[in-house]
Amino acid sequence: MERIILDNVSKKFWIGVKKNQNSLQQIISLISGREPKKNFFALKEVSFSVHEKEIVGIIGKNGSGKSTLMRIISRIYKKDSGKIFSRGKILPMIGLYLALKPRLTMKDNIFLTGLLVGMSRNEIKMKYKSIVEYAGLGNFEDTKIYQFSEGMKQRLAFSIAIHTDSDIYLLDEVFEVGDEDFKKKSAETLRKKAEKGVSIIFVTHDLEMIKKYCNKVIWLEKGKIKKIGGKEVVEEYGKES
Amino acid sequence: MPNFWNLSFGLAKTEFKLRNEGSYLGILWYLLNPLLTFLLLLLIFEDRLGKGIPKYPLYLLLGIIMFNFFQQATQESVRVIWRNSVIKSLNFPKETLVMSNVLKIIFSHAFELLLFIFVLIIYGNFNSGILIYLIILFFLFIFVYGFSLMLASLSVYFVDLNNMWTFVSRLVWLGTPIFYAVEGQTRLGILNLFNPMYYFIIVSREIIIYSRIPEMWMILGMMIYSFLFLITGMFIFNKLKYKFAELI
Repeated sequence: MERIILDNVSKKFWIGVKKNQNSLQQIISLISGREPKKNFFALKEVSFSVHEKEIVGIIGKNGSGKSTLMRIISRIYKKDSGKIFSRGKILPMIGLYLALKPRLTMKDNIFLTGLLVGMSRNEIKMKYKSIVEYAGLGNFEDTKIYQFSEGMKQRLAFSIAIHTDSDIYLLDEVFEVGDEDFKKKSAETLRKKAEKGVSIIFVTHDLEMIKKYCNKVIWLEKGKIKKIGGKEVVEEYGKES
Repeated sequence: MPNFWNLSFGLAKTEFKLRNEGSYLGILWYLLNPLLTFLLLLLIFEDRLGKGIPKYPLYLLLGIIMFNFFQQATQESVRVIWRNSVIKSLNFPKETLVMSNVLKIIFSHAFELLLFIFVLIIYGNFNSGILIYLIILFFLFIFVYGFSLMLASLSVYFVDLNNMWTFVSRLVWLGTPIFYAVEGQTRLGILNLFNPMYYFIIVSREIIIYSRIPEMWMILGMMIYSFLFLITGMFIFNKLKYKFAELI
């Protein structure tokens, strides 16, 4: 059964550019703070589908459109053209650890983020202990997050996300910060989730992770799909970069 | 919809905690601001602008705390989308950010209201009229929420709105009869017909302070303005919200 279908999806942004301006235009830009802008395609005619139980890895250089693609699928951004179909609840985890409130304790952060991902207060209460334990942060329940390391924040965000019931998980660079042990543990959790029927898409620069866990690999370049296929795509990508 | 309220209250609670985080005086600040404004204005104007106004201290204080609610909520709503980068990470009803902001301010308004009740008792003017304020507050809440929706969404597109609204809300403060009465000033009277806060404040004063039934058109005006702003605010926010995550 297909969980996500993208058909010729494109997304463009207005981005600032350096342009030859005459002095009057420069003064106007300076005063108003507005810069000249042009259209830029972050995604161009992207099509693929994701089935249940599938783990899809997305690779590509910085700025190739990986995060934009995740945001388009989770409807955080609106597509400009094409069609998107999805079945089931989507949980995006795109820089989620950056959204934690530094001046709140971990406990408050768990409740707040839990509400944001759509859990009820009771559900969070029930899962609270498990969230803390999974993240391995048992001694820091009343510590404010600004004193956490990046890895600790990432672990916490991942733990909250993974405790949220969902059919589709979109994970953006969640393996880049945590330590090796946690990386293994979280990848195993994802694999178990997928076995139960969940679909997972993740973006990472860690090619080994992709090779080990993904059934399908998508290689993005300049907003377009350069290759789509199995693990052989990773090899090719590895050779080229 | 239960998620909408759950989330709004949860966010409001968080914001409230953050606001008092590390502060020694904490919630006392909520009272200090209106109290000091009140005492200062009373000192300056009681024998001048307030001379012909019966029960001037009550008249003044009620005006201050009602306008405070409006001003604080709207001024913070201009930045509310900007401050919450979480909309780039998760997909949730963005209206909750605005709602939680208004809820947070209404919470501090409750403290100011207690202060006002205290002063009412001191002046021996305490009566059941204060209960009707809850109904007025309902409409004020709707109005402020609608207005905040407008400001919050427009400010994502027009960054200048932040500075502009700080200035404009100050002008509205001066133009609203808070520390003076509008009677006899034709031009200001006509201008205030377009100022929703005028209706809310006058209706509240009539009922709570003077135990009189306000004129019907004032009550109607209050209700019409609140729903008008709610509908317009929801419409604008709804139109613009899809681009928020891209623009911040």
